[in-house]
Amino acid sequence: MLIALFVVGGGIGFSLVQSLGLLPLVGEASLSLDAYLANGDDLVRGIGLSLAIATASTALSCIIGLTAALVITQGRSTGRLVAGLSAFTIPIPHLVGAASVGLLLSDAGIIPRILGIPGTEWPDIVGGSWWIAVVLEYTWKESAFVALVVAGVLASRVARYDETAALLGASRARRLRHVVIPLARPAVIVSAIIIFVYTLGSYEVAWLLGRPYPEPLPVLAFRLFTSITLTARPEAAAVAVVTTLISLAVVALGMAALRRTPLWK
Amino acid sequence: MNSHHPARAGLAASLTLGLVVALAACSADAGASSEQSYETWDEVVAAAEGQTVKLWMYGGDEQGNAYVNDVLVPAAAEQGVTLEQVPIADTPDALNRILSEVQAGETDGEVDLVWVNGNNFGTGKEAGAWECGWTDLLPNMALTDPADPLLLDDFGTPVDGCEAPWHKAQFTFVYNSDTVTDVPSTLDELLDWARANPGRFTYPAPPDFTGSVFVREVLYSVSGGYENVPLAYSEEAFEELTPALYDELTDLAPSLWRGGETYPQNSNELNELFANGEVDFTMTYGPATLTELVADGTYPAGTQVLTLDEGTVGNASFLGLASTSGSKAGAMVVANLALSVEQQVAKAEPDVWGQFTVLDLDQLSDEERALFEALPTSPVVPSYDVLSENANPELAAAWVTPIDEAWRAQVLAR
Repeated sequence: MLIALFVVGGGIGFSLVQSLGLLPLVGEASLSLDAYLANGDDLVRGIGLSLAIATASTALSCIIGLTAALVITQGRSTGRLVAGLSAFTIPIPHLVGAASVGLLLSDAGIIPRILGIPGTEWPDIVGGSWWIAVVLEYTWKESAFVALVVAGVLASRVARYDETAALLGASRARRLRHVVIPLARPAVIVSAIIIFVYTLGSYEVAWLLGRPYPEPLPVLAFRLFTSITLTARPEAAAVAVVTTLISLAVVALGMAALRRTPLWK
Repeated sequence: MNSHHPARAGLAASLTLGLVVALAACSADAGASSEQSYETWDEVVAAAEGQTVKLWMYGGDEQGNAYVNDVLVPAAAEQGVTLEQVPIADTPDALNRILSEVQAGETDGEVDLVWVNGNNFGTGKEAGAWECGWTDLLPNMALTDPADPLLLDDFGTPVDGCEAPWHKAQFTFVYNSDTVTDVPSTLDELLDWARANPGRFTYPAPPDFTGSVFVREVLYSVSGGYENVPLAYSEEAFEELTPALYDELTDLAPSLWRGGETYPQNSNELNELFANGEVDFTMTYGPATLTELVADGTYPAGTQVLTLDEGTVGNASFLGLASTSGSKAGAMVVANLALSVEQQVAKAEPDVWGQFTVLDLDQLSDEERALFEALPTSPVVPSYDVLSENANPELAAAWVTPIDEAWRAQVLAR
């Protein structure tokens, strides 16, 4: 516990101290908020973009994942197929997934070549202004994660309640609405929190499949960190601190939502 | 886990804060570059025996990696030094590592030699990252021209013996002669060609190195030639000369690839677009690699180098010695080896790496000069003297960041 606190707390503390101007590489140390205000526009745009990507990815992953979990717990052959696909998707690293999406869906990618569509007419999926490829890649991998987590919950506790309701004469739709989904809600909420925080802080997918401007927070932080001007380092630390604060706020909101679900009480 | 144990939470918090403050107190006194301590070359050679030297350099160039691992490493082993290449994606990665070690007061760091120039060198020199005053000890330094402006100033920062020369580069434009019928001969004509052929030209987004130098080339062009742009940075010069630059680039944007809404993130992406036939021009600091790329079919068969009437920017790149290195003698031996005639000739061969030499050919003996003249010529790339005709000097490093940031604000974010 102390080791985890040292690593996490020390790392965050170090970033915080650097962002407040107390650990400059050159020059005098002085407490100031300059690092936060220096890239004001980029920071605000980055927050908006990161939240949008994270929200879209999380929402889509949860919907697709929940549906897949329901299919898996049916017990028939489609259920086993979906379970197999999900289990196969999870070990593939995001970097490999992003590279594959880039190779398949870019203007000169494999899919437009197979379909015979020239690059200029292919929609801007990779590097486009809607960041579709990025959301697609996150959704693809995280929905598998949600599917397996929720399927685990559904197959254990929920199965008993579901069978009882069926025995008492409830139709499939009513069982879904009144038994299965409310009981699966805590698992979905916890998965959603994990996915949201992960996509908020993820760098490689956003960088490989995105565009130079606007930049999500991790891409902005990395560009500032590796910038040739030494004064950009505290600015990178500031972006990292902002990302951490947003993540903590989301976790707090998620835990509050979790406490209000019936299963928690 | 809630507030059942406020005392324990308080203790943990103060412990963490104490550790952070202790770490902060460890940061070394930055800003003073260290001076080396060897008196003669023989001392260096003796101390270098058995040392391991790590060379941090860009790892995306296959020919570069092959040259270092197959030619330079064995040659260094003959002198008793174990050389290892550490491939990196971008030179700031190495600089960041050194700076972190400087902050921690490290004396046997992970970084020994770095392939560096320009802004990375200037920033490092300011923060005390480089060992200085060692290049005069190298016997092979005598083969370079002591008055060569490309070797005395690195993007406007005086070198002061803080880095050893390695090779020279010339920024070149590359085009596909099969699809470009109306070949431009000046940068203005090139931009006009882009307007006449929308969607067939683009450039990497600064702060990528190649995109950054392209923007500076356009600055030279809109200012009427490089003589009209002062090499040293000043706010007045910036305010006076850059509005025309950004007006030109914003005016050009709608005719670029994807309507100028987005740009390739780095030169590799631009090269991919060129290889896939999505654009007809690319640009590079290393034209020697073109011969190989055309020969193996990566680039279109009609690829040619574009020579501009007003010339393009040329510079030299160096090997920097980290002030936190624990194998400084070994690193000096490697730097001296890299400057030797055999290594410079091997490196200049197009099949090996094709990098232009920093040596002064007038200072060499006749046999040595003959080795350089025997290098094969290429159908794609003209020889170095043609390429570097009218070579423009690089602007001082202090220009680079303001130009890049203003580009992002005015052209990219419009």
